[in-house]
Amino acid sequence: MVKEIERAGIPVVHICTVTPISMTVGANRIVPAIAIPHPLGNPELPADEEYELRRKLVDKALEALSTEVDDQTIFEV
Amino acid sequence: MKLEVGYIDIKGIRFGDYNAVEDGILIVNPEPLLEPVLEDPLIKSAHFEIATPGESIRITPVKDVIEPRVKVEGGGGVFPGMVSKVDTVGSGKTHVLRGMAVVTAGPIVGFQEGIIDMTGIGADYTPFSKLHNLVLVMEPVEDFKQHEYEAAARLAGLRTAAAIGELARELVPDETVVYETPTIAETFKEEWKDLPRVGYVMMLQSQGLLHDTYVYGVDAKRTLSTLISATEVMDGAIVSGNCVSACDKNTTYHHQNNPVIHDLLAVHGKKINFVGTIITNENVYLDDKIRSSDWTSKMARYLSLDAAIITQEGFGNPDTDLIMNCTKLEKQGIKTVIITDEYAGQDGKSQSLADADELANAVVTGGNANEVVVLPPLDRVIGTLDYVDTVAGGHAGSLRPDGSIEAELQIITGSTNEMGFNRMSAR
Repeated sequence: MVKEIERAGIPVVHICTVTPISMTVGANRIVPAIAIPHPLGNPELPADEEYELRRKLVDKALEALSTEVDDQTIFEV
Repeated sequence: MKLEVGYIDIKGIRFGDYNAVEDGILIVNPEPLLEPVLEDPLIKSAHFEIATPGESIRITPVKDVIEPRVKVEGGGGVFPGMVSKVDTVGSGKTHVLRGMAVVTAGPIVGFQEGIIDMTGIGADYTPFSKLHNLVLVMEPVEDFKQHEYEAAARLAGLRTAAAIGELARELVPDETVVYETPTIAETFKEEWKDLPRVGYVMMLQSQGLLHDTYVYGVDAKRTLSTLISATEVMDGAIVSGNCVSACDKNTTYHHQNNPVIHDLLAVHGKKINFVGTIITNENVYLDDKIRSSDWTSKMARYLSLDAAIITQEGFGNPDTDLIMNCTKLEKQGIKTVIITDEYAGQDGKSQSLADADELANAVVTGGNANEVVVLPPLDRVIGTLDYVDTVAGGHAGSLRPDGSIEAELQIITGSTNEMGFNRMSAR
């Protein structure tokens, strides 16, 4: 999916827990997610802290999307 | 550690009014065996059924397959930390009821369990069709939490297998085999110095959400990689708490009879020097994957291995754990062979593993789990067919009106097992 959308000329950021797989499949912009069963949140956190965490991930993804890259890049949160 | 295993061959199971093994026949009086099972408030009903190889029987949904064993001499009891108290096992003497299993069946979550056919093409794909199976069929109470019921069903199976195993305590085995694992110092002895030092890295399913494995009662996702003796594994130190995509999950029976361990022990001191077994988990956090594979490679180095066999459990993100274990050993000069299976699509043309690396250049496959198979209708169902369409490997319409099933091999318990406990592979 990542590669096909990029092939159409639209940049993609892949938010993904297992970043090595993302690297293997050839994503260019990668943001590490939390865990496989809950990539974009953490049910163990209180709601307000989890909101912060989710916000941070999305902000990082938007930052990655607007950053020029010349190789596969992992944007650490 | 030295373990003498006495095998008592079971040639049949029948119901009776007492529990015993007589002339290779297991006689089962259900009532006293079901009493402790039904004490659990989450288990509404339980009964036994018997499935014999070749009979027109389909068992589903299957949770676990367990071989009855009993500790006759030496420390601890079978399934330590689960059924017996926590105490080191793997030494002394153990009796095994060979040729039979306790199979736990009945709905848990409905999409995580498997199928065992006792005849037809489905039987060819599962090793458990060749066993005399005492099937413990359970039903949960109406209002239950799935993870709590999974624990109840898991314990019920292990306790039943232990109780059946107890019947073998005083019997004279048909065959006795002595298994011995060396200490580190012994592995350096003169007569083995020219043999390659080989280790076994056993990956344990630990993704959570009922994808778990227990070691001496500890949930494997809460562990770091560690060492275990091959004989401890034979005494039930590792038990299954998972069965989703039943084709490549290790049942408790697989652990008790791990073919990699048995094959390595068979050539130990002759062709190779089997130095030890490392167990490691497959967690859902990237940091855990990195940490556990780091630990595995540190231990492989500590054991001064020349080579290792790595077996995976499951597929998908654990492919990354597999590749991390493989590459981190290879980069230290430790040669590896990995045993895995494939999800290459129904036509077999897609990428087989989710992760890959050039260093993973010696691979044994247990088969393509996406391959489609049509299981013929069978005369009798033990359990229920209610979940065939929703279980992993099935699809809407899998269960056809005539009772036949069209599904992926995923649905068959043990069909693409990654310990090599199956008959499929590829060259």
